[in-house]
Parts: sequence; structure tokens; C-alpha cells
Amino acid sequence: MQKLMVMVCVSVGVAICATAAISAEDLAAAVKERRDLMKKTVAPAAKLGGQMIKGVEPFDAAKAAKAMSDISAVPDKYVTLFPKGTEHGAIADSEALPKIWEDFDNFKALAMKLKDASAKAAGAAAQGKGTFTAAFNDMTKVCKECHETYREKLEH
Amino acid sequence: MTGAGGAGARRAWWWALFALAITGAIVFYLLTMPRTLSASALPQHTPDVANGEYMFTAGGCAECHAEPLVKCKDTKVKDQKHLGGGRCLKTDFGMFYVPNISPDKETGIGNWTTLDFVNAMKRGIGPDGEHLYPAFPYTSYQRMTYEDLIDLKAYLDTLPAVKHKVPPHELTFPYNIRRGLGLWQLLYVDGKTFKPDPKQSADINRGAYLVEGPGHCGECHSPRNSIGGIIASEAYAGARNPEGKGKIPNITPSKDGIGDWSTDDIAYMLETGNTPDFDVVGGVMGPVQENMSKLKPEDRAAIAAFLKSLPPLPDAVPRKNKASGKSDEDEGDDSGDESSSSGAADHPDAPEK
Repeated sequence: MQKLMVMVCVSVGVAICATAAISAEDLAAAVKERRDLMKKTVAPAAKLGGQMIKGVEPFDAAKAAKAMSDISAVPDKYVTLFPKGTEHGAIADSEALPKIWEDFDNFKALAMKLKDASAKAAGAAAQGKGTFTAAFNDMTKVCKECHETYREKLEH
Repeated sequence: MTGAGGAGARRAWWWALFALAITGAIVFYLLTMPRTLSASALPQHTPDVANGEYMFTAGGCAECHAEPLVKCKDTKVKDQKHLGGGRCLKTDFGMFYVPNISPDKETGIGNWTTLDFVNAMKRGIGPDGEHLYPAFPYTSYQRMTYEDLIDLKAYLDTLPAVKHKVPPHELTFPYNIRRGLGLWQLLYVDGKTFKPDPKQSADINRGAYLVEGPGHCGECHSPRNSIGGIIASEAYAGARNPEGKGKIPNITPSKDGIGDWSTDDIAYMLETGNTPDFDVVGGVMGPVQENMSKLKPEDRAAIAAFLKSLPPLPDAVPRKNKASGKSDEDEGDDSGDESSSSGAADHPDAPEK
């Protein structure tokens, strides 16, 4: 009987450990995925837009609209990648301040604001560089607002 | 060895020590005397309040002196024009509480004359002859012109008086002895107004004035020695964050710094907060950038031109040791090259030791 209990306990323990290991991996994957969205999709698209408005790259309405649409496709997915336990300090590479989970609704609202602002910038591209520039700058204000409130920048 | 001769020698020895101590005290007293300007130093100048407000913005006075939103360390403020002070700055020397500089007569600087104000800004000396701590960056403000300072004082006088008593600084010994600052000021304060370099363009000179004077950029972006003085040979090459974790970036035009930024990139960042790679400048730079965004476009361009004219320097503070392996993945992400990872031991295929 005692032996059986020990066996049960050990297997339960292993099971818990296994679950913990899987979820730790999941958490790390969430961090990687959300950072990749920012670094590999949002930042390069914003950079292209910025180079066009700075005149480093010639303004190309189609390219500008595509870049902004790419950004606009991110926020819906992005906000699903913040499971509890992925805050800065709790896991490697996380720049997410714990404040995100304190007011998740506001965090989400900002993400949706980015979605709208980038969609607007995509639409503005067809109306020429001036209109696009204004819409683009409005969009980057959302970037700033969110980063200032919810992000702890890691040293690279 | 006993007897009158020994006792006499010992007494003489004590007298000598005593004399030395007195001389030392006198020398200390003389060296640490507050060195102030007299009223005759001030030029005849009708204050231009609008220019004073511009200097207030360029200098970011509100970033430190406006009352913090909730907690004393909040970088967000209640109102840019309510300069009741109270922000706390945690440094290696102890905790500073930023003073009230609103025109309140009791708790602010409402009783200060223009000369008092100029002495604080150019000499680091308060109206009672007391030495001010250089957490207040008079080491930069001393480069400002008298006219700009007179204008700034006139603008401060127009702001609302805020009655708010700020607690005294909590500093460790020997930094809690104000008088000792006189020695420090001998090294770092000369009160010399910025002089344009005739070999440089008007643009670069204007940028240099804004950066080195009111903007006081070097106060954070330059490394300091053990007594808290800026290391001039490594100016703008980045520094440790004086308030704790992290690092303040190198802003010289080098590989470690902003060598691959164009002047347009710098001006655009100051205007919008976006770096060329479309990251957002944040932390303590956030409020600074917001002030910079309110300057005239030609002044942002001038600042950019000046920064690009600086000697390119490597980082004054070495980059974080990546041996912990924590940031490896980051590096890989940035460069798209996982092999740049320094944490070889973390790799599954790393050779066993």
C-alpha cells in the first residue's frame, strides 16, 4: 500500500514537472513570437515608411500601403501572446512590464489603436506623401504611448 | 627619555599638529568660499519672456522640477508649469529631493533676485552663499548667456506659485557637507559662457550651445569619474545610468554610437521619438524628447549637426557581459544570424567539456 502511494506520488510529481516544463517552453515561445512580430514585421515596415517620409527612399504609394497593412495585421495576434508569467523579470528576454496585466484592457485598447492607425496610414498612402506623413506620424505616437507605459527596454 | 626635554618635544609636536589643523581649516575655508558674481556682471537687458519659455523647454526644467505625478520617482508630472519640486533622485551619493523653483516666497524661489538666479545657474551658489549640489546641472547651465538666463528667470516669474515644502536631501558622508562642494566647484565650475567656434558653421555652433548649455545632454550621456565629474575626453560616449540600472547611450558618431544615423535621422528622432530602426526612445529620454519636439525644426537640425561633428568615440562603458546567455537570442534576432551567439554552452551541439 505504502509502495503504491509512493509510486503514485512519484508519477504525479513527474506529471507536474512535465506540465511545468511544457508551459515554461510555451511561455518562452510566446515571448519569442511576440518579439518577432515587433522586430521582424512591425519595425521593418515602420522603418520603410519612415525612410519614405524622410526622403531616404522615394515615396511609393503601393509599397507604403503594403507596409502599413502589414503592421495592421499584427495587433490581433499580438495581444494573445501575453500569458501570465511572461512579464519582465519572470522570464528571459521579456520587456513586458507587469503593468500590462494590471490594466490589460487598456493595453489591448492601445494595440487596437495601433491597428486602426496603421490601417488609416495604409489608406492615406494613395492620397500622396503629405497625407501619408501625417497619418504615419499619428501611428508612431501610438507606438510611443504604449512603449512608454508598458515596456522595459532590455540592454542589447 | 623621561624628563622635561621629552615632554617639551611632545608638546611642540602637538602644537605643530594643532597649527597644521588650523592652517588646513583656513585653506579649506578659503578654497571653498562661494565664488559669486556681482550685479555689475549682468548686462542691461530687457527680459524676453517668450525666449525664456523657449529656454525652459530646451533645458527641460520641468522634467525635474515639476511635481511628479504620484510617487516621487515618477517621470510623468502633474503639470509642466507647477514647479513645486519633490522628485527624488537616487544616486551613488544618496537621495536628492528636487527643490521647489516656483515663485512661492516661502517654499519656492519667489524671493530670489535675477542675480541670485544667475549665481545658481552659473556658479552653483544659492542666495545665502550655500553651495548647490551638481545634481542640478549648473555645470552645463553655466555656459548659457546672461541674456538667456535673464529671460528664463522672467519666464519662471510668470508661473504659478506652488506652496510645497520639499524634504532635505539624504546624502551619505562626506557628501552631506555642502561646504566641501567648493572644492568640487574649483574643478568643474568656471562660469564661462559658451563661445562659438569661428571655424564651425553657425548651425553647428547653435547646436553646440543648445547641447552643452541649456540642453545639458552631456550630464547623462557622458561618463563620470569617482567624484562625479564629467570625463571631458570621453564626452558624449555614453555612461552608466546615474539612477541605477542600464546604460545611457553613446551619442558620438562612431560605430558604438550613432555613426550610422544621418543628421535627418537624429532630428527626426528628437521630433518624434523614433529611432532609424523604428524603436521608440523611452525611459528618462522620453520627456527629454518631448521637449525637443517643441523646439524649432532648425534647432533640432542644429543639434543633429553638432552631434555629427563630435569626435567619434567607442563606448565609455563596456557593453553588458553576455556570458549569462540571457540576451543571446536577442542578438540572434537582431542580426538574423544565430551563430553570433556568444553563449555557445547553451547550444545543444556545443562540445562537451
